[in-house]
Amino acid sequence: MQAANRANKAKKARRAVSKRAYAAALAVSLFASAILSSCGGGDGGGDEAGAGRTLTDPSGKKIAVPDRIETIAVLAPSLAEIVSALGLGGKVVAYDSSSADVEGMGEDAAVLDMESPDMERLLALSPDILLVSSLSLYDQENPFQTLEDAGTCVACVPTSDSIEDIEGDIAFVASLLGEDEKGEEIIEGMREEIDLYSDMAKEAADAGAGEKTVYFEISAAPDLYSFGSGVFLDELITMLGAKNILSGETGWLGVTEESVVEADPDVIFTNVDYIDDPVGEILSRQGWEGVTAIENGDVYYIDKNASARPSQNVTKAMEQMAGCLYPEYFPD
Amino acid sequence: MGHGRAGCKGGAGGIGSGGTEGGPRGFGHPQGRRVAGFAALFLFAAASVALGVLIGSASLSPWEVIAALLGGEDQTTRSLVIGIRLPRVILAFLTGAALGLGGTVMQSVLENPLASPFGLGVSAGAGLGVTAAMAAGAFGSLLMPVAGFAGGILAVFLALSLARAMDVRTSSATVVLAGMVLSLFFSAMMDLASAMMPEYAQRIALWQMGSFASKGWRGPAVLSVLLALCFAIFQGKATLLDVLSFGDEQAAGMGVDAPREKRRLIILVAALTGAAVSFAGIIGFVDLVAPHIARRLFGASHRRALPAAALLGGSFLVLSDLAARTFAAPREIPVGALTALLGAPFFLYVYVRGRGRE
Repeated sequence: MQAANRANKAKKARRAVSKRAYAAALAVSLFASAILSSCGGGDGGGDEAGAGRTLTDPSGKKIAVPDRIETIAVLAPSLAEIVSALGLGGKVVAYDSSSADVEGMGEDAAVLDMESPDMERLLALSPDILLVSSLSLYDQENPFQTLEDAGTCVACVPTSDSIEDIEGDIAFVASLLGEDEKGEEIIEGMREEIDLYSDMAKEAADAGAGEKTVYFEISAAPDLYSFGSGVFLDELITMLGAKNILSGETGWLGVTEESVVEADPDVIFTNVDYIDDPVGEILSRQGWEGVTAIENGDVYYIDKNASARPSQNVTKAMEQMAGCLYPEYFPD
Repeated sequence: MGHGRAGCKGGAGGIGSGGTEGGPRGFGHPQGRRVAGFAALFLFAAASVALGVLIGSASLSPWEVIAALLGGEDQTTRSLVIGIRLPRVILAFLTGAALGLGGTVMQSVLENPLASPFGLGVSAGAGLGVTAAMAAGAFGSLLMPVAGFAGGILAVFLALSLARAMDVRTSSATVVLAGMVLSLFFSAMMDLASAMMPEYAQRIALWQMGSFASKGWRGPAVLSVLLALCFAIFQGKATLLDVLSFGDEQAAGMGVDAPREKRRLIILVAALTGAAVSFAGIIGFVDLVAPHIARRLFGASHRRALPAAALLGGSFLVLSDLAARTFAAPREIPVGALTALLGAPFFLYVYVRGRGRE
């Protein structure tokens, strides 16, 4: 009897530990898939807002857009960047903690948590528009129902991966906020910059530069993470005339050291910013000494925000990468 | 008394009946068979390590690998084999051996076939230590394993002190209970830290799942010394462990100060497991299953079960890690998620087959 009790207690303790491990594994895979998943459509906001137009947001949900938009809440840094570029930062009354660095956000705006925002605060603010990404909706289908019932127009823009989707997001947000023209300007600007750098790459290729192989890391050892095709960074790399060593895979993935070392990239990029010296860490990795990029010291840090946020600012990341791949074109 | 007691004697501790050797059926097996059995186990362990070194996600042929080990091939291949694969395989083996050993001792000391070194708070304590180190910005440096090790030991000390405060005789039940409470508490603190610092949440979760990637030679160096030391001590105390598994009263009757010996053993296991966990993260299942399979194949006597569990645990983890880095290459699957996936069917097979033989 006692032995059975003891066995049960030990069993529970052991289950608690391994349950945690499995929960952690599940949480990580959920997080990873949330990046690719859609918002899981809501039940279509009601028309109680006395709204003008009806739009369909990128997650497929039909929303009623108010005629006058005075206050905006935005819970994703990429969306905050788009709002700021549209010149509407002054109307932002609440943004998420990761967007603190975005320019032009309202002075007295509330800072909320992206994944579990303070609903009471949001209700008190009662913004005309709430912009969220899929990262705010991982828990339930529509956690913002109360806000919608109170009159806020909630638009969900799932985290985009490709450049085409990013352009679509910009167009949607611009249209939503009544700044269609500005939105088009931003997209045009983006395309121009992208063309500028890809032309540069073509020039270099014609001059006999050859195709460089690239490995772009978004998480440092021991959990190496990178991406394959279908991700905007991969598109940018390809447009720069280089080749992502993982282009045979799709989406974001964790990789084994051996695969990277065997692929022997010419250039390594990292946007890791949570350790002091990400470039140094890569250069000093045991077993990586023979990698071309390491031997030549071609390991570079790319701005985290520009390379992690699917907004018009990805061109900055492209510029940095171009500068590293074709230094002859960048005299500084 | 003695043999019939639900403890760790004979086979899958208390669940099944007597094992293949020793136990209620007497000591009838010939010496030669035991030696042959161990020889086979050594071969299995060696083969596992060899497989681990020869196969990987890089498409190298076995000959290229051997050539690289001997100093040939180009720099990249040599670096890959000697700098990446070799330390990884060795760390996996040492970790598995440490966990197998720790599990065996723990199950005997706590007279519980489901006891685990992790149940005393080692994993939760180590996790908290590592989280604290991460938050202090010491990601990837030596501070992380040291903090993890310190956290694990601290947790076990607290568990033992708590148990002693609750029960002067520190019976096994009390120790398990104290360990569980402390585990839950430290785990909760880790969860809180993850929630308060969401930028670390993913990395903490990934660390918890365990990985042998990019650990360098630090882990194998430290762990080999610690393992050798602990193994020598445990093996020396093999008879003591046999006696302890009879229960406290029995042990006292044989002149053994059970509570004190148990505390010492638990602290040693904590040190060993804490070190293993702090380098590789939390890898479950090995500590539970290796001892059971060892006892089922080699009998309950610790003189044989200890080395068997170490060899089995080591081989198993090497093979699991091999799977983790090759099944979905170039992707890497967390090894902690694989151990139960691969281990459970294997454990069931051994258990059911052993049962059928009786």
